[in-house]
Amino acid sequence: MRTFKTYDKGDVLPDDYRKALINLMCFQADSEYAGGQRVAENHRYATRPEEAYRLSKKVFEEMGHAFYVWNLLQELGVDVDARLYELSHNPENPDPKKVNVINGFRKENWSKFFECWEDVALFSTVVTPAAVAFLGQYRECSYLPWARVNVRIHKEEYGHLAFGVWASKRCIEFGGEKTREFMQQRIPKFMQMGLGFYGRPSDGDKKSEMFDIYYEYGIKVKKPEELQAEYLELLDSRLKEVGLIMPTDVEADYDMRMGYEAAHPLAA
Amino acid sequence: MPGSPQHLIDGEIAELRRFGYTPFGDAAPDWAGMWQLLQGDFATLQRSHVLDYAELSPWPQEGARIYMRRRLLADRLFEECQVLYRRLHGEGINTELVEAYTLAREAYEDAVLDFGRAREMLEEVFTRTVDV
Repeated sequence: MRTFKTYDKGDVLPDDYRKALINLMCFQADSEYAGGQRVAENHRYATRPEEAYRLSKKVFEEMGHAFYVWNLLQELGVDVDARLYELSHNPENPDPKKVNVINGFRKENWSKFFECWEDVALFSTVVTPAAVAFLGQYRECSYLPWARVNVRIHKEEYGHLAFGVWASKRCIEFGGEKTREFMQQRIPKFMQMGLGFYGRPSDGDKKSEMFDIYYEYGIKVKKPEELQAEYLELLDSRLKEVGLIMPTDVEADYDMRMGYEAAHPLAA
Repeated sequence: MPGSPQHLIDGEIAELRRFGYTPFGDAAPDWAGMWQLLQGDFATLQRSHVLDYAELSPWPQEGARIYMRRRLLADRLFEECQVLYRRLHGEGINTELVEAYTLAREAYEDAVLDFGRAREMLEEVFTRTVDV
């Protein structure tokens, strides 16, 4: 079991720790909000009433996750209202100098992944397990206020995964074997994003420059390899539940991620 | 206005309107009109035609009304979320509003799931009324 120094609300944070922490927290909050905006854009694909209502619930929840983390960042001296303003007023192309959004949640990247409601269902089935694993680690991180809000966030991310399984099952229920095959073929594009979610391996030439720092401080508590194993286990179980098969030869797309790995934290 | 927090809410409202969402008001519910937008969800391979509201016998009609009432309750809680979403954007992020927003969206979640349970109840009624 790893041990590291922990900090609670009001504690004085070492400068380097504070910078690294703010970088990751801003990235989570900004990306959650942008994720909510992207989910809202997918509403047009909802073909049935309950699907539409469940999706609107998800939009509000993603925004809520951002508000939790921004609320903490405010206590660390970050001008979070400026970040909220930038994202809400420039939803399609927020200024990367002002906010830090995961590449996959930027509109130009996100919109290429979605063509139908089956894609929306698959996103929550195939990519969300990566978020469950990745964000789940922050529940045990060294900054305790952030760890506590991530307990709340993690619970809702599990709910989003349940939504994906429910929605995927409904697609197959109504569309039959033809739809099941259609969805099976679409798993790899989402799995690429899911596999890239937690970053490059912790060893080797292509390792993230920042990972060792985050890990040393206990801000990140798991290595990408551990998160990958968690992701694949969770994904496999959910795909089986839906009646789909996990492909075995899918390569991670790390370009959809970026930002968590930013070498120099953005101005807070 | 595309670049504003309200734009997102307007989009959400427009999508839910496709399934009969109407903002809170004094008018009595138009059950037949609402059912027209929802009945498609009960079509299956075995039941390609779903009856209009007026054609339903009392048993499934009562089930349909309960189902639609659940939806109306979800609509009201959706509006609670909207109000707090707008306040967070207008007044800035603070603990009171963040937690109030949490309560609102948790209540909305319960209402949406109740709406789903009512759909299952009505589905069951349709199945059973075929057998009687």
